[in-house]
Amino acid sequence: MHSKPKALWLQGLTCNGNSHSFLNHPQLGILMERFELLYHPHLPCTLSLEAVVTCMHECDLLLFEGAFEPTMRRAGVALERLLEHYGACAAQIVAVGSCASFGGVFGSSGGLDAQSQAWSEKIINLSGCPIHPEWLALILSGFAEGSAFALDAQRRPKALYAHLVHHGCTRNEYFEWKVDAKGFGVNEGCLYYDQGCRGVLSHGSCNRILWGGVSSKTRSGQPCFGCTESDFPRRDLFKTRKNMSIPHEVPLGVSKRAYLTLAGIAKTFTIERLSKDLMDD
Amino acid sequence: MIERRLIERIEGEAELEFEECEGRVAYATIRFEHMRGMERLLLGREGRDALVLTPRVCGICGHAHLMACVLALEDAYANAGHALTLSPKAQALREATLSLEMIQNHIKWWYLVMSEELYALRGFTPPKESALRGAYGAQIINRAISALAGQWPHNSYMIPGGVTCDPGALELLQAQTALFEATRFVQETLLGMELERFLSALTCKEITGIQSDAGRVEAMLLELGMQEKGRAYDRFAVLGSHGFAAPARLRGTKTYKIDPAQVHTEAAITLRGESMARNALYRGTSYETGPLARALQRGDPLIKNMHRRFRDSTYTRIFARLYECALLLERTAALLRGVVLGEASWIEPPPIERISAEGVGIVEAPRGPLIHRVRLERGIIAAYEIITPTQWNLASAPRERPGPAQKAMEGLHVSEAAFVFRSFDVCSVCTTH
Repeated sequence: MHSKPKALWLQGLTCNGNSHSFLNHPQLGILMERFELLYHPHLPCTLSLEAVVTCMHECDLLLFEGAFEPTMRRAGVALERLLEHYGACAAQIVAVGSCASFGGVFGSSGGLDAQSQAWSEKIINLSGCPIHPEWLALILSGFAEGSAFALDAQRRPKALYAHLVHHGCTRNEYFEWKVDAKGFGVNEGCLYYDQGCRGVLSHGSCNRILWGGVSSKTRSGQPCFGCTESDFPRRDLFKTRKNMSIPHEVPLGVSKRAYLTLAGIAKTFTIERLSKDLMDD
Repeated sequence: MIERRLIERIEGEAELEFEECEGRVAYATIRFEHMRGMERLLLGREGRDALVLTPRVCGICGHAHLMACVLALEDAYANAGHALTLSPKAQALREATLSLEMIQNHIKWWYLVMSEELYALRGFTPPKESALRGAYGAQIINRAISALAGQWPHNSYMIPGGVTCDPGALELLQAQTALFEATRFVQETLLGMELERFLSALTCKEITGIQSDAGRVEAMLLELGMQEKGRAYDRFAVLGSHGFAAPARLRGTKTYKIDPAQVHTEAAITLRGESMARNALYRGTSYETGPLARALQRGDPLIKNMHRRFRDSTYTRIFARLYECALLLERTAALLRGVVLGEASWIEPPPIERISAEGVGIVEAPRGPLIHRVRLERGIIAAYEIITPTQWNLASAPRERPGPAQKAMEGLHVSEAAFVFRSFDVCSVCTTH
C-alpha cells in the first residue's frame, strides 16, 4: 500500500474563515482519509504547531490560508522561514482563500505567488472569501489522484473560475430584460443596476455549487461583492457606480456598445410577467 | 521562573506565561501576538461596507459581528432622527441565524476542542471519529444558516432596515429540516436524551451517568475534579438583548443593572513580551461573559443547581455551554415556526449619506457581549470600535486584579490551567481583531 500524501495547513494573517468553511464539507471524513494530515487548526492531525515550526518535517501538499506577512510568527517562527521550508518540499501549494491568493482583506503585499519565484509555478490560487468547501475538495481529490488542473491567468482552476457568479443566478431573466430590483429583500429583479452586484464581473461558481448545498449570496438577496477577484474588498459594496444612469462597468468581456445596444432594445419592452411579484397571480 | 505554554486550536494562537510556586500557578498572563487592525480598515468607507468587512474579524462568529454592525448602523440612523422599524419577520430571521451560529460554535467547541483536550489530559487518545462528529453537527447547522442568509461563514444579509433575503416556504423548510437533523444529532449522540428532558432537568443527578458524548465528558470532568477547579470571580455580565438573554450584571445569581456606556478597555499586560490584546472592563472591574453568564441571568434551573453546588467552576462553565446549545436548538425551531413569510423583509431607510451620528450595536455572541461603536459623517465611517467577549474573559491584567481566566488558572498545575483556560472558549482572532 502506498503511503498517503502528507498535507499541511498553515496560516498567515487570517480570520480562520476558510478553515471553518472547509469543515462544512458533508463528506469531510471520506475526503480526508486519502491524506495524512500533518496540521490543521481544527481537525485532528499528527503534529503540534510547535513540531511544525521546527521545520523537521516535510509535506507533499501545502495548504496556506491567510495573508502572507513575512515577519509574522507562528509559534515563534517567522512565516518566511516556514514558507521557505514547506514551500520547497511541497509538490503543490494551494493558496486557500482571497487573502492567500491576492492579499484580500488583510494582506498588504499581494498574494502568495508574489512572494517567491521559486514556488510560484507550484501555486494554485483558490480565491474567495471564504472558499466553498467543494472547491477545495476538488483540488484535494485531484492531488490525491495525481491529476492536473488547467489554470487561468491568475492561477485559478478553470474548472471553478471559468464561470462567472452570474451563471446559475436565479435572477438571470431579470438581467436579460433589464428589470432592476426595487430594493433589497425581494426575489424579483436584478441586483446589478443599483445594489452593487458584481456577479457579471466576477469569476466563481457560487451559483453552480450552492453554499450549504442550498443557496448563494444573490439567491438570498445580497449583491455579489466580487470576493474571488484580486481587487476584493472594493469600496461602496452595496451600490452600483453609474455614469448617466448606465453602470460604470458592463459585464465581463462585453463591449459597452454591445451592452448598451442590447439593453436599449430590452428596455423598450415591458414584460408584464417580470414586473409582477413572483407570488402574484 | 516563568513557564510558557503555546495554546493553539483556539482560532489562532495564544501564549500563556506562568509564574509558579511549588508546581502551581501563582500568576498567569495571556499573550496574543497577532493583530490585523480591522477598525482601521473601515475608516473612510461607506457605512454599509462594514457589513461586509466586520464579519471577516472572525471565521467562527462573523455572523455575530454582522449583527452588531447592523445594529450600530441602525442606532446611528436613530440618533440622526431616523429611527428604523423592522418587520417581525426580519427580526426573527436575524435572531434565528445569530442563534444558529452560536449552536454550531458550541458543537465545534465541544467536539473539536474540549473533548479532544479532555481525553489528552486524561492520557487517552480521543476516538477517531469524535472530531468529525462535531464537524458534522456544525455543518448541518450551517446549512440552515445558508438557507436563510445565503452562506456561512461571511454573509452580509442583515442590512439597515431588515434583511436582504425573502425566503419562501422552500427556504424555510430547508432551514427547518437542517435544524431538525441537527437536533436529532444532539439528542442521540451528544446528550443521549431528548432536548426537553435535558432542558427541564432540575439537578445534576438527572443528567449524570448517561451513555453519550456528554456523559463521557462529564465523567472525565469529575475524575479530574473540575467541579472544584477553574473558579473565577463568580461575577458576570450580559449586555445583549435577545429572546435568550437580557442585559444584567450578576454577583453569583444576584442581578444588578448594567449600563453599556460604562464599558471601557485598557492595554493588556504580560510577564514577558508584548500582547496586542486589550482588556474589557466595566467601571474598572472585570466580569466573566458568555453562556454561564447568560444561563444564570436566565435562571436555567439545571445550571443554577450546578452553580449552587460548584459555583463558577470549569464543570459549571462547560455545562452552561452545552445547556445553551440545547436551549437555542429548541428556541430557534420556535422562532422559525413563527415566521410569517408574507411580511416585508426590508423597509427602505433614508440614504445613508444623510446620516451623521454615532451608533452602538450590542449582541450576545457565542462567548458573550460583542459591542460595535461607529461614528458616521454623511454616511462615511469616521470612527469604529469593536469590543469582543474574549476581551472580558481573557483579560490579562496586573496580579492585584487578574482577569477571569487568569483568576481561574491560579493554584492549578500548568497542564490543568491550560485546560481551564480553554473552558472559556478562547478566540484569538476576536481578541485582537
